[in-house]
Amino acid sequence: MAGSEAKAERGADAALAPRLIGRLNGRGLWTLYLKEVKRFLNVATQTLMAPVVTTLLFLAVFTLALGRGNADVLGVSYGLFLVPGLTVMAMLQNAFANTSSSIVIAKVQGNIVDVLMPPLSAFELTLGFVAGGVTRGLLVGFAVWLTLSIFVGFAVHDVLAMLFFAANASLMLSLLGLIGGIWSEKFDHIAAVTNFVVMPLSFLSGTFYTVDRLPEGWQFLAHLNPFFYMIDGMRYGALGHADASLAVGSLVLLGVNLALFLTAWRIFHVGWRLKA
Amino acid sequence: MRVARLDRWNPRGLWTLYRRALLRHFARWIDSLAGPAATMLLYLAVLILARGNLGQEIWPGIDTASFVAAGLVAHITCLSAFEAMAGYMLWERMEGIIQDQLAAPFSALELLAGWVLGAATCGLLTGATVALLFWPLVGWPAFDPLPLLGFALLGALLFALIGVLVGLWARKWDHYAAAESFLLMPLGLLSGTFFLRADLPELGSTLLTFNPVFYIVDGFRSGFLGRNDGNNLLGALLLIALVYCLAIVGLRLVARGWRLKP
Repeated sequence: MAGSEAKAERGADAALAPRLIGRLNGRGLWTLYLKEVKRFLNVATQTLMAPVVTTLLFLAVFTLALGRGNADVLGVSYGLFLVPGLTVMAMLQNAFANTSSSIVIAKVQGNIVDVLMPPLSAFELTLGFVAGGVTRGLLVGFAVWLTLSIFVGFAVHDVLAMLFFAANASLMLSLLGLIGGIWSEKFDHIAAVTNFVVMPLSFLSGTFYTVDRLPEGWQFLAHLNPFFYMIDGMRYGALGHADASLAVGSLVLLGVNLALFLTAWRIFHVGWRLKA
Repeated sequence: MRVARLDRWNPRGLWTLYRRALLRHFARWIDSLAGPAATMLLYLAVLILARGNLGQEIWPGIDTASFVAAGLVAHITCLSAFEAMAGYMLWERMEGIIQDQLAAPFSALELLAGWVLGAATCGLLTGATVALLFWPLVGWPAFDPLPLLGFALLGALLFALIGVLVGLWARKWDHYAAAESFLLMPLGLLSGTFFLRADLPELGSTLLTFNPVFYIVDGFRSGFLGRNDGNNLLGALLLIALVYCLAIVGLRLVARGWRLKP
């Protein structure tokens, strides 16, 4: 009897007492993550279906345009060769779009305070936004890969490698989108980053050709492009062939991701371009 | 102060509407000129790199690079005219500021003409920018301004008119993006920009003749390369008919105030 009374009392206390937040605001983080995911699922035609259709178009156009005289690359049909690269490209663009648009819209409309006011630390903010972007990147990647593979055939050499490079690709672009979004003061700025940084790096990353096609000096430049390692790694996962060393690729991606994560964390901590 | 007299039509108003579209295009030049130029350059670079054998000729004396480059100029002219129309119209409708134009002394024809001519000119400007940028790279083997200007104008007008219809129909950005991803991009990319009609299977070749963009791309090729796939006269007539029909539909919708007036 006494026990259950005490229990009821504790229950009432718990309802009224301020909620204690431990080292990590788990519920807050989860809420931010859900907001980020529901935001893009709400417009799934634009965020999931459109990339699938556009990528399918690219596949059609490039196989048609290069059908003559380009029968096989790396011992597989050109279409099959394209799939890993096109999948990564779609992931990159969507992971970037998710975090950058979320931040820029919130900043332009002024409702960014709704995210900055709650008891979320800089670390939790970074993690919540980035997890949303990674989720969209992976979902789009899976949808694109599945659709393209239905047309040109399924090729899987190493699932773990595919997952590793897919996750790292989405993570890097989510972080870039986050930083780019915070830097932007209006939509034009983030559009410029998309047009002049993300698009060139993803198009010139070896999606459509093997790097040995490039002239000497350009091969070296291609290896400086972190996007190259994502596509190369993904291609290894699918076809079992990589242009560069996988260990180097993994280290580059992990290193860049760590550096970007720390930068984003620092930016939220300082409040650069976020707090007056 | 004098009261402006409007007789049968309102030339100053029309000029203001037209000028406004152009100023807006130039004011956002990073997005409206430089962005598309960079993207088209990338498409060209990637295609040339992927193709590898640069010397390969599509037609006698015409290599892959100039073949694709001509198609890309056509593609961006159309897409840019569409965006200059539909994007701003949707934005102005959502913000409610389109009322400023509806309340001004314009007839439906003047409104439509001001919007469409402005957006078409924006498309032509972006197309010209990209064509100039490609010039040192591919050197336009047989430049012929007459068919080029004709087809550029028809293509830009057609897509500005499609922009009016989409701009009126869409209620939010999601709709606009859907029109762009599921209508504009397929029409533009599957139009023979990147490949020769003869390379397609029979069904694809037949379907291609139903894509109006094919005739635009083809007409651009005759103006840049001096050679093309189809018949210029047939293409021009088809496009003129299509532009005329869409203009009638657009005019009807604007006159009725469809999705413009409560």
